[in-house]
Amino acid sequence: MTIFHEIYGAYYRITARLLRRGRMTRQDITDAIAQDGFRDSMLFLPQKLIPQPDGSDWGLLHETADGTFEPVTKHLPEHPLTLLQRRWLRAKLADPKIRLFLTDEQYDALEAALAETPPLFRPDQFRCPDQFADGDCMTDPKYRAVFRIALHALRNGTAILLAYRTAHGAVQRHCCLPVAMEYSQKNDKFRLYCRRIRRGKLTGSTVFNLGRIISIRMLRETPENAQTRARFFESLRCAEPVTVRVTDERSGLARFLMEFAAYEKHTERDTETGSCTVQIWYNRSDETELLIQLLSFGPVLEILSPPDFRQKAAERVAAQYALLFPE
Amino acid sequence: MAGFSELVKTFEKTKSYIRDFFICGFRTRGDFQQKSSRTYDDERRRAESWLGGALRFDDSVRGRQIFLSVDSSRIYENPLYQMYAAKSFTSNDIRLHFLLLDLLADGAARSLNAVMELLVTEYGVEFDPQTVRGKLREYADEGLLIAEKRSNAMFYRLAETEPVLRLHENPALAEAVRFFAADDAFGVIGAEMLREAGLQNDIFLRKHNYIVHTLEDSILPELLSAMEQKSTVTLRAYSARFDTDDREGKRFEAVPMQIIGSLQTGRRYLAAFIPAEDSFHSFRLDYLGEIRQGAVFPDYDRITEKYQALSRRVFGVSFGSLQGGNDAEPLRLTIRANPETEQFILRRLEREKRCGVLTQECAGHYTLVFDVIDPNEIMHWAKTLIGRIVSVEGGTAMLRERFADDIRRMQAMYGGAKHDDLS
Repeated sequence: MTIFHEIYGAYYRITARLLRRGRMTRQDITDAIAQDGFRDSMLFLPQKLIPQPDGSDWGLLHETADGTFEPVTKHLPEHPLTLLQRRWLRAKLADPKIRLFLTDEQYDALEAALAETPPLFRPDQFRCPDQFADGDCMTDPKYRAVFRIALHALRNGTAILLAYRTAHGAVQRHCCLPVAMEYSQKNDKFRLYCRRIRRGKLTGSTVFNLGRIISIRMLRETPENAQTRARFFESLRCAEPVTVRVTDERSGLARFLMEFAAYEKHTERDTETGSCTVQIWYNRSDETELLIQLLSFGPVLEILSPPDFRQKAAERVAAQYALLFPE
Repeated sequence: MAGFSELVKTFEKTKSYIRDFFICGFRTRGDFQQKSSRTYDDERRRAESWLGGALRFDDSVRGRQIFLSVDSSRIYENPLYQMYAAKSFTSNDIRLHFLLLDLLADGAARSLNAVMELLVTEYGVEFDPQTVRGKLREYADEGLLIAEKRSNAMFYRLAETEPVLRLHENPALAEAVRFFAADDAFGVIGAEMLREAGLQNDIFLRKHNYIVHTLEDSILPELLSAMEQKSTVTLRAYSARFDTDDREGKRFEAVPMQIIGSLQTGRRYLAAFIPAEDSFHSFRLDYLGEIRQGAVFPDYDRITEKYQALSRRVFGVSFGSLQGGNDAEPLRLTIRANPETEQFILRRLEREKRCGVLTQECAGHYTLVFDVIDPNEIMHWAKTLIGRIVSVEGGTAMLRERFADDIRRMQAMYGGAKHDDLS
């Protein structure tokens, strides 16, 4: 049982897809490669699929009198779930988040089907010490109900009306169109990305913590929503990237590049000093999180710009200096 | 061009290139000194071919830069999963794959001889019996076929997938697989199931998503299997330092205990017991190579109990160098927060303190006490509270001096700005 196996490979997948379609033209073959292959697959794959005079092809297609190709196989190339896939599914049954997607009956049916399959891993074989302690309760029936409706609305492009408890305890009502669902393992929370609806039109973007949604229901009317998702993300993006300089003191460079691997960024090294200058793009709503994350690198990292972002760092450092070294 | 293939036989060599391209965007050909320029060029070309638009180039003053600049909270499928779809194979492998699945599609069990005969009569192809037997056994191991012994011969039939496990017939499961396909560990398995079913994730996003972790999925099964079977492994650990050309690494015999992942730093570790040193160590997963499962470790249960007890005094992953010896003093961090207007700070301390004990010192001052093996690990997190740390006590003298020195240097760096209330 291995995870890096050719049966999961792109070439096998493309071949299966072609065998599934039955009769095909040369163009169908190149289209399938272009759609499912790697960038260079067109250089290698056609001559392996299309019969060659010297027999160097894979022998899975034969040419017909009209110049098209047919599979030498007689059935659709469906293969069963592999042991690896079954064991992965079995392991996922131990994850409380799967209950969000399944009814209890659906869960029981899966459990019965996989009863003889050992899990690929157990939850206690993994530990994340810095996962926050106040994650969402995924098994709470109310939470599951909210999740289901939100997911259904997302899948069907339906507008929703929800009552939401803000961080300050106030309850607000929002009419909006969900565009994506985000999960953070660090926070162990789901968030719903939405565009606001006012007077039947999409007007702005907002994010709701699923755990704070008190009630949710789908609406009959949904506004036109072309480009909704792209506009949502544009509206979140910072106007200007943060630029930082990182030195390799205390392996700072390796630590920084790993920790910020999740961000969109541009990295350039100064060959004389060994330090790196990095531009980081971020969501405006995550500015404070980014600021404290950068400060945690101490003097190994300096925030260079934008000036107002640097100023926020300087204020925190000055406050800290005053606390540690009072005059 | 001659000899170049976009597929690879082994995962481990290529993954170190992909990790470097992805993590160290500034590295150029000259930085991969230990490899030949042809190897570098081939690996770079493969990376471009697999990762398409996710790998971008930039011309810098040092020559051609390579970097992967992906905002991983905005992607619906990890581009690095492509690596797992690039395993090389022979013509016999792929031909036998489709012919065997085809001739066994009726669900009947067949012996090797019957399979050999059908290959000739139905498809007009002859294979060496050893090759076919090897493939049948391999597919039985992978779970595609069921092997049954009848009299003295093995019979093979196609395994069945229950309807409830088929993504097309169970939309609720398909939705769950869309979500789990972005998981830190083994998400690639779900992604492959989706691709096989012609489905894709178009809804779920992940924040704090370290997509590079998928490169470690190739070694995880061996480690998890050793944990399950209470066995040792032999492993080779390489230096994670950029400035070290560590080609040899260091070999260890280890008893795997747990995989520990930091969601803040993105680093993942294998926590393991080293019998030769009678101590616990944490190894960076991304710098491990060559793992082989060994014999059952006779003292596994006792060591596991010891590990669990020790883990309660570990803030992150460090078991320190003084296990059972002279520990550092408990570390006391006192934090300033206005109880009327800064409740969010108290909530932060509650949810992020881990094994720390939080008490209120006086109005507006809160103390976290960490009785841990290695208090140095706390300071990276503690510095996220810069601007609020009233005092750092205990730990070690070096820790306290370094923190004070860091603040002095940062004050000099940022020029001593005025400060108001912090948000």
